Amino acid sequence: MSGWLDGNFVSVVDGVAFGLLLFTIAVGLSLVFGMMDVLNLAHGTLYLAGAYVAYALSDGTLPGLLLALLAGALVGTMGGTALTFLTQPLARRGHLDQAVLTLGITFIVADLLAAAFGGEVLPTDPPTALRGTVDLLGHAYPVYRLVFIAVAAGLALVVYLVFERSSLGALVRATVADRDMVRALGFDIRKVLYGVFASGAALAAVGGVLGAPILGPGPGVDETVLVLSLVVVVVGGLGSVRGALAGALLIGQVQTLGVALLPEYAPFLLFGTMLAVLVVRPNGLVSSAVRT
Amino acid sequence: MARRIRPAALIAVTTALSLATACGGASLGTGDGDKQNGPVKIGLLLPQSGIYKALGDDMKQGFELYVEQHGGKLGGREVEIVVADEGETADSGKAAAEKLVKQDRVLAVSGVVSSATINGVKDLFETSKIPLVGSNASPTTLTGTSYIWRTSYVNDEPGKALGKHVAEKAGGPVFLIAAGYQAGKDEIEGFKSTFLPAGGKIAGEEVYTPFPGTKNFQPYLAQIEKSGAKAVFCFYAGGAAVDFVKQYRDFGLAGKIPLYAPGFLTEGGVLKGQGDAATGILTSLNYSADLDNAANQQFAPAYTSAYGAAPTTYAMASWDAAQVLDKAIKAAGGTVTPESVNAAISTVGDIDSPRGTWRFNSGGTPVQPWYLREVKQGANTVSSELGRLGG
Repeated sequence: MSGWLDGNFVSVVDGVAFGLLLFTIAVGLSLVFGMMDVLNLAHGTLYLAGAYVAYALSDGTLPGLLLALLAGALVGTMGGTALTFLTQPLARRGHLDQAVLTLGITFIVADLLAAAFGGEVLPTDPPTALRGTVDLLGHAYPVYRLVFIAVAAGLALVVYLVFERSSLGALVRATVADRDMVRALGFDIRKVLYGVFASGAALAAVGGVLGAPILGPGPGVDETVLVLSLVVVVVGGLGSVRGALAGALLIGQVQTLGVALLPEYAPFLLFGTMLAVLVVRPNGLVSSAVRT
Repeated sequence: MARRIRPAALIAVTTALSLATACGGASLGTGDGDKQNGPVKIGLLLPQSGIYKALGDDMKQGFELYVEQHGGKLGGREVEIVVADEGETADSGKAAAEKLVKQDRVLAVSGVVSSATINGVKDLFETSKIPLVGSNASPTTLTGTSYIWRTSYVNDEPGKALGKHVAEKAGGPVFLIAAGYQAGKDEIEGFKSTFLPAGGKIAGEEVYTPFPGTKNFQPYLAQIEKSGAKAVFCFYAGGAAVDFVKQYRDFGLAGKIPLYAPGFLTEGGVLKGQGDAATGILTSLNYSADLDNAANQQFAPAYTSAYGAAPTTYAMASWDAAQVLDKAIKAAGGTVTPESVNAAISTVGDIDSPRGTWRFNSGGTPVQPWYLREVKQGANTVSSELGRLGG
């Protein structure tokens, strides 16, 4: 293979890795906002908590990584549940109150994490078995990022099947569309909503565990992740798994291939893309099927 | 969203503070007056929170170590240290500086990590006539001051120190890449000012990566590979330094294309974070913990045993700031006021420093030696001297 693709193939592959990382994080934000109507600006903090869990538990072995994944999922679920309780009383007061509350939570938690882990970026190494590089058309590429692509693609598939193809997913979507009807059928609405919040939060924290070797834990990472997630949600369209995936993969390519081709425009590419998508499709790439 | 709300809160706090202090009295900057043997109050303006906290900690430790090594005294006077949180932004730094100057009535201030802060507080120190012996931030734009001194270096000097050496060693075009903010641009310009006259060639276009926020350097590393560069000169510090160095290794460039940088790339905590990935990186700096001179023998081992890590240039510059104040307060003699101390600073002459001997130039920054360092077995080691700058 020669020419254009040869020179940029590694960037294309890395765009997929970065895009899938963004999907894992942003899908929770999209579902919670799109379905539960809660604007959760503490979402980046969930990622950061997961990344710190990975740092604390990574010992260079695969079981260490699995343990970190379990612990991360637990931390995320607990964080999501706490956030549900905290935001519930504000449900009728609109997005600004939710934004202020959840943003306040991010400041407090960020300071607590900085007090516990210090002010520096703590890069997390992947397990020994997944270190090193492979050759992609004559260019070195980290093994861990290839493994990450496989694992994150699996996660994306599971999330898609659960939310858009299973009866559980149908119940969630029905809850959003017509709460009274679902209540009349005998389901507990609150459990459904809490479940969505907790699983979205768990996904963000699991993203933090898996993503730690790519976007390591440290002060400020929560904001980076939150901004990227908001961009993905806006570009992809609210409340839809397919939208989050489309948005994340697009932003992934913009942040790698786009930057490799047009490095001098790097600061504008992200928001330029967002602007372009919004001009053409104001509701994002995939408009949600459930919200009206 | 985060950006929009934080400044508002800070402005509120700043306003509240300045209102509170405005009622406190109109006479500014007289310090504690001049009780012959009473303690003197020194303010440390340092980040105690946020992304620069690690640097702030280093600087605090360096300053405190000097005071401790001198019996809790500077210039023969007991010292009371007041720490104020510089935070992350010029606004928070300014609020903290106002507190030190107007409320705590300090004799002098040291510290300041960020260039934005030192630009923001310039007028405060100049008009209140209290000396600021800065130990880090020193943008090229900070000139024409009478009360602001720096024991560090001007921002473009680490690049300047390295240009000629890289032009001679690279054996081909060099790729230039830096974090896209003022310090990054200063370093690249400084590097070019000595690199190009020495016959150096640049590979492709120089690249500024969005700051903060660039976490994935893969696309830039692909650019470097494509450019056919024989060496890379980069400027990164803090978390970005860790990410860049690790990814430089992960994507197979380490060992293939030599990496040169101003010393912050491998300085302090970031070096620990980089681990093996930093091996072989070549940097320029005004200090290395392994320097062999009398002042460093007094400083480095004591620092390492007190804080469990080798001293950084940030800690060293802060130790020197305490030394400058020590000499100046002593020289001010009977009348220790902010103004007499400031006048004395301009006459302190040669400073016997862990970095080697240096003195202030007319711009208030050091004339000092620069070193080429290489990372070996997880530590920066001096390999040669690159000459003196600042004169």
